[in-house]
Amino acid sequence: MSAIEAVSLSKIYHRSKTLALADITLTIRRGEIFTLLGRNGAGKTTFLRIAATQLMPTKGQMSVLGHDARDEPFQIRSKIAVVPQEGGTIGPLTPWDHIYLTLLARGMSRSNARERAEKTIGQLELKQYRNQPADSLSGGLRQRVRVAMAVATDAELIFLDEPTLGLDAVSRRRIWGVLNQIQKEGRSILLTTHYIDEAEILSNEVAVIDHGRKVLSGSPAELLRNVKERVRVDIVGSTFAPEELNSYGRVVRLAERFRVLTDEQRGRELADEAMKRGSDVSLARVSLEDMFVDLVGRDEE
Amino acid sequence: MSLVWLFATPFSLLFIITVTTGGRSFVLGVIGSLLLVLSTVGTGIAGDATWYRLETKLQDFFVASPVSQIGYLLGIAFAGLFFASPALVVLLPLLVYVGFPILALPIALLSLAGVWLFSSAIGYLVSTFTSNLRNGWQSGLLLSVIVGILPPVFYPAEILPHNILLVTYAIPTTNAALLIRDAMGTAPTLPYWSPLIGWFLIAVSLAIALAVTSRVARWRQH
Repeated sequence: MSAIEAVSLSKIYHRSKTLALADITLTIRRGEIFTLLGRNGAGKTTFLRIAATQLMPTKGQMSVLGHDARDEPFQIRSKIAVVPQEGGTIGPLTPWDHIYLTLLARGMSRSNARERAEKTIGQLELKQYRNQPADSLSGGLRQRVRVAMAVATDAELIFLDEPTLGLDAVSRRRIWGVLNQIQKEGRSILLTTHYIDEAEILSNEVAVIDHGRKVLSGSPAELLRNVKERVRVDIVGSTFAPEELNSYGRVVRLAERFRVLTDEQRGRELADEAMKRGSDVSLARVSLEDMFVDLVGRDEE
Repeated sequence: MSLVWLFATPFSLLFIITVTTGGRSFVLGVIGSLLLVLSTVGTGIAGDATWYRLETKLQDFFVASPVSQIGYLLGIAFAGLFFASPALVVLLPLLVYVGFPILALPIALLSLAGVWLFSSAIGYLVSTFTSNLRNGWQSGLLLSVIVGILPPVFYPAEILPHNILLVTYAIPTTNAALLIRDAMGTAPTLPYWSPLIGWFLIAVSLAIALAVTSRVARWRQH
């Protein structure tokens, strides 16, 4: 049984007449971290909210953990947990309160809730803040509390909507670590993000959503095969004429930097030449970011 | 919902009524203040629940959980009682002081509970349709006026014209005020009203509010 199965799913917001999702068909396997990647307004949150039984679809089918999302929301809700995008915490409550009381509200016994809350506080490194009011914590810590509220549950499927939005690199990696841990426990995760490195590092599978449509899906390695070039060379400065760079491969302008996407041999040649000319240069394999930009929009060349 | 607002507003009205009537309407003022506190804490859910939904996304969190909509509503409603408690701690003994029989307290408490539940249900219902926080707070204030000030709770029902009086019977605070006055032996004789009818009307309005809320309130967004 899959964690989520969507067939021809569409959503139109009636007030604004916006087509948020158009005919999406997607399967998310159990026990994996699946990421919906897309720009702001692509439809990622809409898909997540439908799957989390927070929003009704307009057309199509969606089944979550074997239950129909439209007709059987109650059966689904006991098995899932959500971290909504850009939410808040309740000021006077401490991180401990947030986690422990959430577990009690979900029907957990006091002893079980205490045990799970302790474990999660440790996992997310909130021990030293556990008894401080949430409104005295930084934004990053408050976000960790919100992630903890979902992670601490015994939900089989956890939804995280942009969980590391606005966080520093250390906090992001901490959350990634926890998500990897809970995946190893056999739980499934549906994540939305517009951070490409997050999708690349965390995910078993990624689906790229743009303007409400699924553009591409697969593992990060499979998605990278859609980029015909293998390496990218970033050059800072104007030591090359544009025609010269074009002769090496496909050129993308990134502010003051030129990125040349090409094969390995020409990449090395270009990097050597750039170094001889005294330019700042870096050579790396193409990443999911290059694939993403290719698919959903190019920067100015 | 503000603890200060819930304490200051009813006592401000009680003060004004007492001063302007030379104390003659003090008892009505106490009854009205009690009902205003509980109706306001209920209708104030329009703002609180909107904040939980739009700002903290707490409602989203609980929708995707085993917590039911009614459970969520009751949770917020009970939380509001905490803010109402300082005013209630003063007003309930004051009600006894002005002549309400202690043995009849269950009557007062039951009618107050009916008002509180009714107000909470309609406050929550409105919150699920509010698209921004400012409208949420304002809706709560408007409902508070409609439920807790306009009906005959701070003034005697018997001064109202007949047809307007009949309309106010549909609002639980009118019936709660009359039931409390009846327990004190000061209820007037009113057309189409008796204590039994008063309880019946509170029960019916509460049942309708809860039924409409459970069917119409947006737990899952459309």
